[in-house]
Amino acid sequence: MFEWLEWFTRMENSKVIALLIFFVLFCSIVLYVYSGRSRGERLESYKYIPFEEDDETPPADDKVKRDGTH
Amino acid sequence: MKHEKIEVNAGLLILFTIIVISIGGLVEIVPLFFINSTVEQVKTTDGRDAIHPYSPLELRGRDIYIREGCYLCHSQMIRPFRDEYLRYGHYSLAAESQYDHPFQWGSKRTGPDLARVGGKYSNEWHTQHLLAPRSVMPDSIMPNYPWLMENELEYADVKERMRAQKLVGVPYSENSEEYRANVERFGKEVADRLDIIRAEENLMRQAEQGNYDGDPTRLTEMDALVAYLQVLGTMVDFKQFEEGYFARFR
Amino acid sequence: MEQATASPQHYNYDIVKKFAIMALVWGMLGMSAGLWAALELAFPILNFDIAEITFGRIRPVHTTLVIFGFGGSALFATSYYVVQRTCQTRLWGDAIANFTFWGWQAVILLGAVSYMLGYSQGREYAEFEWPIDLLITVVWVAYLLIYVQTLRRRSQPHIYVANWFYIGFILATAILHVFNNLAVPVSMFTLKSYSAFSGVQDAMTQWWYGHNAVGFFLTAAFLGMMYYFVPKQAGRPVYSYRLSIIHFWALIFMYMWAGAHHLHWTALPDWTSTLAATFSIMLLMPSWGGMINGIMTLSGAWDKLRSDPIMLFLITALSFYGMSTFEGPLMSLKSVNALSHYTDWTVGHVHSGALGWVALISFGSMYHLIPKLYDTRIHSTRLIYVHFWLATIGIVLYITAMWVAGIGQGLFLRAFDEYGNLQYSFIETVVFLHQPYVWRAIGGGFFLAGVLVMGYNIARTVLAARREAAGSQAAVAASAA
Repeated sequence: MFEWLEWFTRMENSKVIALLIFFVLFCSIVLYVYSGRSRGERLESYKYIPFEEDDETPPADDKVKRDGTH
Repeated sequence: MKHEKIEVNAGLLILFTIIVISIGGLVEIVPLFFINSTVEQVKTTDGRDAIHPYSPLELRGRDIYIREGCYLCHSQMIRPFRDEYLRYGHYSLAAESQYDHPFQWGSKRTGPDLARVGGKYSNEWHTQHLLAPRSVMPDSIMPNYPWLMENELEYADVKERMRAQKLVGVPYSENSEEYRANVERFGKEVADRLDIIRAEENLMRQAEQGNYDGDPTRLTEMDALVAYLQVLGTMVDFKQFEEGYFARFR
Repeated sequence: MEQATASPQHYNYDIVKKFAIMALVWGMLGMSAGLWAALELAFPILNFDIAEITFGRIRPVHTTLVIFGFGGSALFATSYYVVQRTCQTRLWGDAIANFTFWGWQAVILLGAVSYMLGYSQGREYAEFEWPIDLLITVVWVAYLLIYVQTLRRRSQPHIYVANWFYIGFILATAILHVFNNLAVPVSMFTLKSYSAFSGVQDAMTQWWYGHNAVGFFLTAAFLGMMYYFVPKQAGRPVYSYRLSIIHFWALIFMYMWAGAHHLHWTALPDWTSTLAATFSIMLLMPSWGGMINGIMTLSGAWDKLRSDPIMLFLITALSFYGMSTFEGPLMSLKSVNALSHYTDWTVGHVHSGALGWVALISFGSMYHLIPKLYDTRIHSTRLIYVHFWLATIGIVLYITAMWVAGIGQGLFLRAFDEYGNLQYSFIETVVFLHQPYVWRAIGGGFFLAGVLVMGYNIARTVLAARREAAGSQAAVAASAA
């Protein structure tokens, strides 16, 4: 029943599999993050989030903001 | 699926995080339970299992070993190197700790490895060394453990301890069927010691016969701990196997 | 829905204050226990033949107090602070948040006392016996619930990346804790239990836990801290937000594979430990990506390092993070590990991460956080400098001593004479270790002294703030009357 697991225990198989999984995942994230100028700008705009609080007065009704009216 | 969805949805972020962190553990841990060669079979010349569970006294000794945190300075895992072979003996087999709940391989050797310390020193040496390490090893930095000799060994709950071990898979026997299976598997002499019903009687007999702490009038924690130390690494007779036999399982 | 009251009443700062103060208290106690353990190794007479304080029992007290008491409380404090500030909403559930505080303090206290009394699971960094494990589980579920509910109430569509790291840490810790502590109690009325797994499988589970306790508890979570407090203290946003996204996914994916490098050359099958070594090397990339992202935040404002001691703490922490995440992959190579494993090199490596990264980033964050919580200024900036230098000297002494001890002992143990016999007996290497052990204790003493200075500085700050608050309240009352 679990014999197929043996296939993964052989170094020559598991090394390649691990490398492939990692590589595909990594490439897709990198491609996503760095493709498209507008997405890049959008993502970079988030780094200012920690500074939006500096007025020390949070918005009275956060519901309005979450609905996308900001 | 857009990454943006993950960024704005806490539920999705959690779901993907769980998936991503689970892969590594699943791939490395799950196969260990199903691949038979992970723990090798070690048989004696007459076809019995060489590795057997601890006797009640040894089990109590092991509990004391864990209580005192011995694993923080002593490993029980000999690696396949020449210097370790000369210093400690044959490298440790996976089978040798198959009944160790929990494992005590350790991660640091402030003192030497103990995987094969059994039979290396006399009971008197161990007792003296545990009471006052510097009286036998002037440069030792091990603490003294005088209370081991002062404390009577508590064994009222030894049956409960064995039952808990049985529940996690250690083949202690509690009825005649299990006992017979153990006789088949380990031989009568060992199977007798693994019988939960006779646990207390077995424990006292082993302590009396072994006289581990040198004081036959009292049953102390020292008796149990030394009994445990003396069994470590003694179950496999490596002379019986040809050289390189165990390398196949690595 | 929250009322628009004047901040900081709007946020739940009370819970943050409690955790922040307890982080310092546990830090002082835990590091004292560590110093004592170090002295016991250098001068074994200090065990005093007292069972409760022998090395084998005081060592888990030390690790538990510093990792879960100091580190854990610092993470609770900062995560509760960061999630409120970046979501601009009050923390969900005041009563349940209080439960996480008292529950967590109980866990730490019960853990330490139970080890001294001899109750231990015999698993490193998971020595808590089963009733305490159950309490941890309940507290942790409450923690996750609070965190998620607060995120859901955020006024921002985007979840700031620091929260990702905190979420990753909370989830991973939950999974690790539950699976590594599967055990059967001897009876319902005793603390003693036996692990569900044995031998190889138990070893793999434990080091999957042990390594990722470092990876998620001591790294990912503190990176969350870094992604908030470094930009805030620097007064400029993080260097690259896109890099932080890659950093997160790559780090949480790869860490989980690396645990088996703690079991090189053991009875664990070779395929597992080779796989772990491979991923350990690859881990260098996200680790250094994150470090560069943090340090480059200061790009163009390097002069802050001269004028701001808090910045000095944060950037030095990142430098030690970079150093120990380079040393880690190096030690995960099987050939290096053959020498380093079982020696003090491992202890030194852990402390370059724990003191250099975890503790320094926490100190920096606390110096930023506590005056904000109490709406005041720090009692003495000069004392922050004193703390910084005590800590840095302490770390350098510590890890240098451990390099000498570890590499030295490793080489002695594998030395052969001209006839092919072992050149040194084990006890001869113990004699050699004495001097490095003394120096390690001195290094630890420096570090602890720094924390005591911090404790004094923070105590003065908090007391002054309280007096001021009481005074202004009295003034308001007087003018109203």
